[in-house]
Formats: sequence, C-alpha cells, structure tokens
Amino acid sequence: MNQVMEQSLSDLVIERVDFGIFVLDRTMKVLMWNRFMQDHSGLPAEQVVGKSVFDSFPELPRVWLTRKVESVFQLGSFAFSSWEQRPYLFKFDHDRPITGGVDFMQQDCTFMPLTRGREVVAVCVTISDVTNVSVMQREREEAVVKLREYANRDGLTGIANRRFFEARLRDEFARWQRYGGELSVLLFDLDHFKDINDRFGHAVGDTVLRVMAQRVADALRAQDIFGRFGGEEFALLLPCTPLADAMIVAEKIRTTICDTPVEAEGVRVPVTASVGGAAARPGLPGYEVLINEADAALYSAKRQGRNRSVALA
Amino acid sequence: MRETVLTEDQRDALQEIANLAMGQAATRLATLLDTFIELSVPRVRVVRVEDAARTLRDMTGIDEHVIAVRQGFRSDIKGEALVICRSSGVGNLCALVNDPYVHSAYESVSQTELMFDVANVLTGACVSCIMNQLDRTPIFSAPGLLGEKLALEDVFHADVLAWRTALLLEVNFSLEDKTFRAHLVMLMAEESIRRMNEALNAILSSL
Repeated sequence: MNQVMEQSLSDLVIERVDFGIFVLDRTMKVLMWNRFMQDHSGLPAEQVVGKSVFDSFPELPRVWLTRKVESVFQLGSFAFSSWEQRPYLFKFDHDRPITGGVDFMQQDCTFMPLTRGREVVAVCVTISDVTNVSVMQREREEAVVKLREYANRDGLTGIANRRFFEARLRDEFARWQRYGGELSVLLFDLDHFKDINDRFGHAVGDTVLRVMAQRVADALRAQDIFGRFGGEEFALLLPCTPLADAMIVAEKIRTTICDTPVEAEGVRVPVTASVGGAAARPGLPGYEVLINEADAALYSAKRQGRNRSVALA
Repeated sequence: MRETVLTEDQRDALQEIANLAMGQAATRLATLLDTFIELSVPRVRVVRVEDAARTLRDMTGIDEHVIAVRQGFRSDIKGEALVICRSSGVGNLCALVNDPYVHSAYESVSQTELMFDVANVLTGACVSCIMNQLDRTPIFSAPGLLGEKLALEDVFHADVLAWRTALLLEVNFSLEDKTFRAHLVMLMAEESIRRMNEALNAILSSL
C-alpha cells in the first residue's frame, strides 16, 4: 500500500470512529477536529480549526484545560480525565435523553503527546462517550443502597428487623457503658395472636401486625428504635430514657394498640398487647441481659392477665 | 534466580539508565510543578510473585495501610506502575503540587481528581524517561484507584497472577523537608523482562 493510500485510510478512520479526536498546539489553537466533535458540538472543522479552542467554546474550564495540555507538553507523557471526577469536558448531548438521567454526555478524556523526535509538537485529545457506563454505575450504586436498606428492614411491617435492632442496641449499650446516663428497653407482644390467625386467617393476622407496627411507629420519638423481634413480638429501644419514663411509653403503646380494633378483610379485630420494660443499670454485663430482663417482665405481664405493662421489679 | 533473569552487566546498565532517567524526570517535574521534588536513587529487584509484597514492604518501610493508584504502560515492553503512600498521607501527596489553583472556588478540583493528577504526573515523568532511555515511547492507560486503605499484600493477588517473576523498580519522592514520602513502583512480568534484556543488550553492545 502506498503512502497516500495509507494516509487517506487513517483520515477515514479518524473521521468515522465513534469517539472525539482533536489536536491542540501549545497556545491552545485547534489543529484538527474530527467528525464526532463536529456532530456533537455542531461546529465543523472549518469553523474551529486555526482558532483557540476557547474562542469556539468559551464555557470550557480554561485554567484546568490549559494546565492539562501544558503538563503533556512539559512531561511528554499522557494526562487523563475521568467522568467519575469530572463528568464532562464539553457540554455534548448524549443519546439517552429519555432513559439516561444525566444532563450531558459523560466523558473520559485522554491527552496524548504527539512527538517528532523527542519534542512534543502537539497534544491529541480523545473524548469517549461513557454515558452508558455512568448510568449503569449509578443504577448499581442505587441498588446497593436499596439492598442495604432491605437488609435492615422487616419485610412485612417495614420497621427495623431483629438484626438491625440488636446492632443498634449493642451500639447504644456500649455508649451507655462508656458515658452513663439512661437506657431502657421495652418488649411487647400481641395477646392471643395465635387465636387471631386461627379465627380470621393469616392474611388478617398479617394486616394486624402491619397496622399495629405502623400505629406504634407513628407514636414514637425520632430517636427511638422500633423493631420486629419475630412473630408477634416487637422491641423498642429508648435511649436517654429512665425506666419510669419508659413505662409511660409502654402504657401509650398498650393503649394505642387496644383503643381501636383493626379493620381487615371486612372484620373488626380487637387486639391487646402486653409490655415488659427494663433499664440498663450498673453491673449489667451485656445488652443480651437487658433483653432477657425485659422478656422476664413481659412474661410477668402475661401471667398477670395480659393487656398490661410491667417493669422489671 | 536473580542471575537467570538479569546478568550483572544488564543490571548495572538498567541501574545506570534508571539513574539518568530520574535526573531527567526530576528536572521535568520541577519545571511543571514549580517545586523541587527529590527523587531517590531507583532500586531494582527481581522478585518472585510470592515475595513481591514482602519485598515492597522492605523497600518502602511501610507497615500501615496504603493508598495505591495504578496505571498501565505499554510499548513492546509493558507493565504496571503504582504510586503508593500511607493512607494518612494523601493530603501530603496532593501537596506535592503546591498549587493555588487547587483552592480556586471557580474551577474546583476534588481531592480524588488531584490525587490521580499527581500520581499520573509522577508516573508519566518517571516511566516515560526510563522508557525513552530504552528507546521506547510508551502509551499509558488512565490511572485507577486500587484502594484507599489497602494492606500491601492486597496489592498483589499472588493466587491469580499470571506471572511468576517480576522486575520491580522503586523510586521514592519527597519534598525537601523529607516529612513525607511517596513511592513509585514499576512492575514488569517475564515477557517484558525478556524484551528489556534485549534492549539492554542493544545499549551495552553500542557502548
């Protein structure tokens, strides 16, 4: 193949290739501008070549771009820019205006030295459209956030699950051990829940659990942690709350639950709950003991006839 | 092991080339960054894959977690370059570029972008100069973060690596007050070592 033919093939490739290629001299004058750059900027080579790139694109980050190019001239080495740090250099449209969710084409840029002998004569800049990559990465990040959230939530009621509740209890207990203060835990249990399931079916039972969880959640303070411990058993972590105050909360929960029957699938289901409370006090070896004590109080409430709240004596 | 990979002459030649290259790189960096960055005399080691992390630990004296930025370079001799410093030293790494522009509110630069830029400049200067001495013009890939809090062992995944032996070239950078050091490590696997040998032989025979 002769020299002329090779030359023109390279030119054709540069014209057709699906990424931006342009060349700058040391004064930031454009020496070459390919078809991708023309199509996306709307400015043809005739208009851009021979002038400073900032004449045609005054919105470019002037200091940053000049320094990038200058560093390539001085070091004779490459420079890069990634969409992850700098989403785009040029404000180009992308081909996902509907589904993309990003404002402009996300771009990876490479700045390459063009050398004759040892001397850098110009800098070639390539622009890759990485919009799809960026959209996929964002979707992945969103999915991870959702997964993390689901991992902490109870599927039926939407409140914290036992794993998350215990993790928070462990943290709060450690804080209490270090700094002192007050820390109470309530455990409560819907009375005769098995009878509700047996009489009205599991769908109604599930609705009862959901409605009760929602009612209690609405009645709590923002800093309280409310979780489903399993079955019809729920737990409440009350930081900075002495036992006496916790038992006021316990009564509030109990009345919130028993005051209004739950309407589900056309039936009215009266529900009551028993509540047990315990508070951290010096000498407690761990948060598990605190849970055990609240559970003992709950058992005592059940034995005394249910629909009541009992503090650990 | 060592003798089979590089002869003593080749090793001396490589050391000499690396010394020359670092001189050039330091000059170029000083012009670009307006700060004098001291480059150490480069150290060349041939390492087996299972010893790589330990060797790197010995050379750098780092026991803590590191931040590592990697870049590929290629000509017929190809490899990877890593810029490594203690995780606690990222701020110092960025401060190698003593640049008021970084603090400009108008065109702000994130710490990550700055870190990539600094790593890229150090890698570009040193690797280009060494490769130029070997009469090669390297092409670089974009810098990527290996991790912000890595153990040196995690830099090399010995169980999955395709190479058995690598040539490891270490240079460290410090500012004049020597309060902070960053390390550049060039790693080349067997095939590239062979080509490096050929390039070194060509230089030796031309003397």
